[in-house]
Amino acid sequence: MEQSYESAVGTIQRILGLYFVKCLKGGKMSDSDSDDWSEEWIPYSERNEWADIVPIPQDDGEHPIVAIAYSPKFREVFDYFRAVLAHREKSQRALELTADALRLNPANYTVWQYRRDILRALESDLYEELDYLDEVIRDNAKNYQVWHHRRVIVEMLNDSSKELELTEVALERDNKNYHAWQHRQWAIKTFDLFENELSFVDRLIAEDIRNNSAWNQRFFVLKHFGFTSDVVQREIQYTMNRIRVVKNNESAWNYLGGILKYEDNGTGNCHQEVLSFCEELYTSGVRSPYLLAFLIDLYRDQCLQQSNVTESDVLSRKVFNLCNDMSKKYDIVRRKYWQYIAEQFKENLAEK
Amino acid sequence: MSHDALNIEGVKQEPALLKKHAKFFVRFLNLLPARLASHDSTRGTIAFFAVCGLDVLNSLPLLTKEMQKDVIEWIYGGLVTSNPEKQPNCSGFQGSRCVNIISDDEQLQANAKNYQWGHLAMTYTGIGILATLGDDLSRIDRKSIVDGVAAVQRPDGSFSACVDGSENDMRFVFCAAAICHMLDYWGNVDKEKMFEFITSCIRYDNGFSQYLEGEAHGGTTFCALAALELSGQLHRLDVATIENIKRWLIFRQVNGFQGRPNKAVDTCYSFWIGAALRILGAFELIDYEENRAYIMETQDSIVGGFSKWPQSTTDPFHTYFGLCGLSFMNEPGLSAVMPSLNISMRAYNRLKQLHAQWQVESTDDRFVSNNKSASSKLNSDENSTSVTSPLIEAQ
Repeated sequence: MEQSYESAVGTIQRILGLYFVKCLKGGKMSDSDSDDWSEEWIPYSERNEWADIVPIPQDDGEHPIVAIAYSPKFREVFDYFRAVLAHREKSQRALELTADALRLNPANYTVWQYRRDILRALESDLYEELDYLDEVIRDNAKNYQVWHHRRVIVEMLNDSSKELELTEVALERDNKNYHAWQHRQWAIKTFDLFENELSFVDRLIAEDIRNNSAWNQRFFVLKHFGFTSDVVQREIQYTMNRIRVVKNNESAWNYLGGILKYEDNGTGNCHQEVLSFCEELYTSGVRSPYLLAFLIDLYRDQCLQQSNVTESDVLSRKVFNLCNDMSKKYDIVRRKYWQYIAEQFKENLAEK
Repeated sequence: MSHDALNIEGVKQEPALLKKHAKFFVRFLNLLPARLASHDSTRGTIAFFAVCGLDVLNSLPLLTKEMQKDVIEWIYGGLVTSNPEKQPNCSGFQGSRCVNIISDDEQLQANAKNYQWGHLAMTYTGIGILATLGDDLSRIDRKSIVDGVAAVQRPDGSFSACVDGSENDMRFVFCAAAICHMLDYWGNVDKEKMFEFITSCIRYDNGFSQYLEGEAHGGTTFCALAALELSGQLHRLDVATIENIKRWLIFRQVNGFQGRPNKAVDTCYSFWIGAALRILGAFELIDYEENRAYIMETQDSIVGGFSKWPQSTTDPFHTYFGLCGLSFMNEPGLSAVMPSLNISMRAYNRLKQLHAQWQVESTDDRFVSNNKSASSKLNSDENSTSVTSPLIEAQ
């Protein structure tokens, strides 16, 4: 009698719960344990196969702070999890229990650790684990623990054949997802998957020329193959072409600066070519702060190396004028910084 | 609630609603709704933002003495002390009590203990909370904690969060440095390796990445610079490198700050980038008005708190970092924040007093154990000055 009353209440609560979830969805704070899996939920205490387990409550001290008003489901799942862990039970049902616990809190590193211990003890099929993780990562693409678990499983399998696709899917949803990029770089480095990465990067930069993560990946790939003078030359052309399309793109400018450092002595042909390119943009009226900052650096370095006084004066005047323009017109938010750069340059000149 | 605009330097400005923010933190300390259950294993960090946030707001007295004691007891309740035979090197504070069990059965307790480990982020925030509340840290075995820190240092010099089951990256390098600095003890932590890891993460655009060859990131750049400062190694970067890092940081300002080039501005970067610039002594080069105006746009003027973007959901994390960002610009009513430890200067000064006290105690100990030798007093004095933390003068 009591049982059926409770289950009726439970049904009503579930319906209400679903209603609230619908109301809250779209908002970030939707109830993490009510999403899409509540309909078939049978409490562990009502499951025959769990009848032998006495759930163990959490010891949160006498006066817990930042206490969470756990839902009954959360509390129960973790009470059973604690019992299983305290009995060192490593079984199929314990594995499934960890999945329930992780669904409620995917950031619980202890549950992930225990899950790995179960997988090892049972010698489970780790390819099934990868499939499970595909789903979990889809729903929690910015969770450190999930990606770490993935890495450990891939290491155990010594098989990285699914990692590029997995991260590609994650990057389709968010092309700057730091976790996905980190995992991708790790897989590429560990299993030597560099071969087709440059075309992947090309595609991402084509899709979003301002994607700083993709530019970073480009640097990562090319550094691996080696910055030969041919590669440096080609990359400078590539980057200048992209800057011609979008002038005010910090990612491309930063990349250009990074590549230029790999030129043999920093004063070779590429340097000249980049300087001409910048001056050409400037003459055509471009006043992007990134262009002007680049020019300031180029002129400053040239000036400090210049022994001819007249040439040096011309260059120093350019630096001061550009710093002044930056602080007054083109980069006002950084005005104090450009004044500082001008002052520093003045000191450098005095020491010259 | 009054919305009278303040008049600072002749510019009408939105007032920071400090009392509301203080109440916001108190609410989080008391009880979190079920929807925040996914924060269960990092409740310690929420406590950190709330307690340290109240401190920055000069509002700790809003917590009764009893409540403050409860906080301290709860933090100590999460302390794990390693057992050299059964569980070596796991000392530190746990983030939550998820596998702390109520049971009289010794075997079950022992089994559960196998999964109770200190976590560097929780140890750092735990000590931060204790220092903020004026605890004297006497219940902490400093050596044991730092042994735990050294045990999670990886061959590349980086750190994991705990003995098993954790990724290693720049976040935990920072936590390791913060813990050792706060405890004024570095034990077997390899600072040289740490330095190598940090500098290997300087990217082609002069920001720091989370791991070797990753994308430069504002939070990571803070972690890297703070760890260098806290370990007394910031001076090892040459002038050109420092200037390049400054440039990368300064370029993160849009109105507020972004974490990476071509990404959206977010309130918390007013702290990460702001603190990094403070560490480099270049904070005054930013545009205060723009920064403040952005942070204020993310203030919830009804229930208090800050969010990452305007009209978004507030949370303790962005509220704390928003306030720290304002404090760096000397917002009236806020106390000064120590950039690299991310706690108030008041709490930091208290830590320095503890350090001085510990040094006297260790000198006394050495004197007692060495007092057969007539020259021991002199030696121990010399020793004690040589362990003075380099940062204390650098601050």
